[in-house]
Amino acid sequence: MIKKRKSLWRRLKENRAVQTLSTILLPVLFGVLIIALWQGQILHKIFNTDINTLPLPSRICRIILDNLPSIGENALYTIIVALAGLIIGSIIGYLIAVFASLFQKWGAGGLTIVGAFNAIPIVALAPVMSNWTKDVSSDPNFRSMVAKTLVVMIVCIASMSINAFRGLTELKPFALDLMSSYAAKKRTVFFKLRLPNSIPYVFTALRVSVPISIISAVVSEYFAEYIVGVGREIRENIVLGQYPTAWAYIVVACLIGIAMYGLLMAVEAIVLKNRRIKN
Amino acid sequence: MSRTNAYNPKNDVEIAINNVSVVFKDNKGNDVKALDNVDFDIHKGEFISLLGPSGCGKTTLLRTIADLLEPTSGNVRVSGMTPKEIRLMQKFGIVFQSPVLFEWRTVKKNIELPLEIMGYSKKDRSDRADEMLEMVGLTKFANHYPQQLSGGMQQRVGIARAFGIRPEILLMDEPFSALDEFTKEKLHLDLLKIWEKTNKTIVFVTHNIQEAVFLSNRICVLSPHPGRLSAVVDVDLPYPRTTDMRDTPHFGELVSKVRNSFEGGSL
Repeated sequence: MIKKRKSLWRRLKENRAVQTLSTILLPVLFGVLIIALWQGQILHKIFNTDINTLPLPSRICRIILDNLPSIGENALYTIIVALAGLIIGSIIGYLIAVFASLFQKWGAGGLTIVGAFNAIPIVALAPVMSNWTKDVSSDPNFRSMVAKTLVVMIVCIASMSINAFRGLTELKPFALDLMSSYAAKKRTVFFKLRLPNSIPYVFTALRVSVPISIISAVVSEYFAEYIVGVGREIRENIVLGQYPTAWAYIVVACLIGIAMYGLLMAVEAIVLKNRRIKN
Repeated sequence: MSRTNAYNPKNDVEIAINNVSVVFKDNKGNDVKALDNVDFDIHKGEFISLLGPSGCGKTTLLRTIADLLEPTSGNVRVSGMTPKEIRLMQKFGIVFQSPVLFEWRTVKKNIELPLEIMGYSKKDRSDRADEMLEMVGLTKFANHYPQQLSGGMQQRVGIARAFGIRPEILLMDEPFSALDEFTKEKLHLDLLKIWEKTNKTIVFVTHNIQEAVFLSNRICVLSPHPGRLSAVVDVDLPYPRTTDMRDTPHFGELVSKVRNSFEGGSL
């Protein structure tokens, strides 16, 4: 049998190391290209704008470095709101899913209603929450934190409950029959089958929730009573016409989002490692 | 190798199927008779096949034995008890069409799953699982995950898991139907070897006539629409069975005999 030698291009394309590298390398190269066009003021020509409205990357970097303590403090508040809302919301969402899976007849319908919460715009939710939490505490910073966290929480509940419900109920064919043949109790079925089955679905939910939690935290800061947080600083600085500082906070918001998503990917890779291995 | 548990018609009745009928509603709300008055006995230590084309109710019948389904009329008795009592005593081992392995557990942990549910100690579970892995020849793969194994190996893990609980009765629902011929023939021999060692009653559902003849000492032939028992054929090939028996004229005669016993002559 004559074995045809594959072309170099073909071999490169099929090489797994090259594939992984290219999925990381290509977006990074694209990013570098954009920053180069930006710094070289070519972007400004394309969009017909000036370096005051769209400050140069070098200037944004300098502002971040010069104001590190105050930016850090604002970022910390945003991260606390996003994480607290994400964690509490995801736990509540999972518990709703567990409850719905116990009563599957109504559960699926009930979750449609929870899903409808997802359709409420954050911009609408944020002022409502600010208003509702006015009597929670005499400390304006604390009650603002509660209001912002509630917004993030509500947004995260929906995606977690819907995905987790699927994870708890979409089982392999015959899996329930198998458990029933062992005379397994409902509790056992939950802990040995439903719960582990739902874990990949939990990560699917988090892939949506993590970026959304940052966005909701930032947007809800706009409407909060107490002036703190990355989102609020973006707004304040735009109002004052300090575009470079506003851009510095926009970059920080992006970095928080990327860092949290990266962290999630790392945790997912560890937790789901064994399920993904193939020969 | 001499057989100690060769099928003996004088053996006790283990599973009595008494006039079992099962009626389903189809999606238009009409009654569909899946099983119509099926009545026969399965003896202790038998390897019996429920054979028939799709729609003959063979899986339905297996599910009523396993207490995964209630018959509409008639009843099943296993060692004089109801299937539910037997199920709650954890005496059924079941192998399904797909291996139903949990991908978050290693091969060994999958075999230990029913033992965990039944409250065996950690050491007992581990010892039993090792023994079962050796029996199906997968000792080397104990710490692999199911998705790393081939379809045939996965089904062997499913069989090991079923035998691991030392069931009184093993119920198998087309366990090899998704496998290629070579793997299937090997697993046939493996299964017979395990059966000869363990003395269990096996009820084996299949739509493959050769498979039924090769494995069983008796074949219940079921015909469809409505599902009913049309014949019971004794297979008088001696055990232990060997692959070259498949090529003997007698094997061919048995296959024709089974084929002709379907109602209406042939399929």
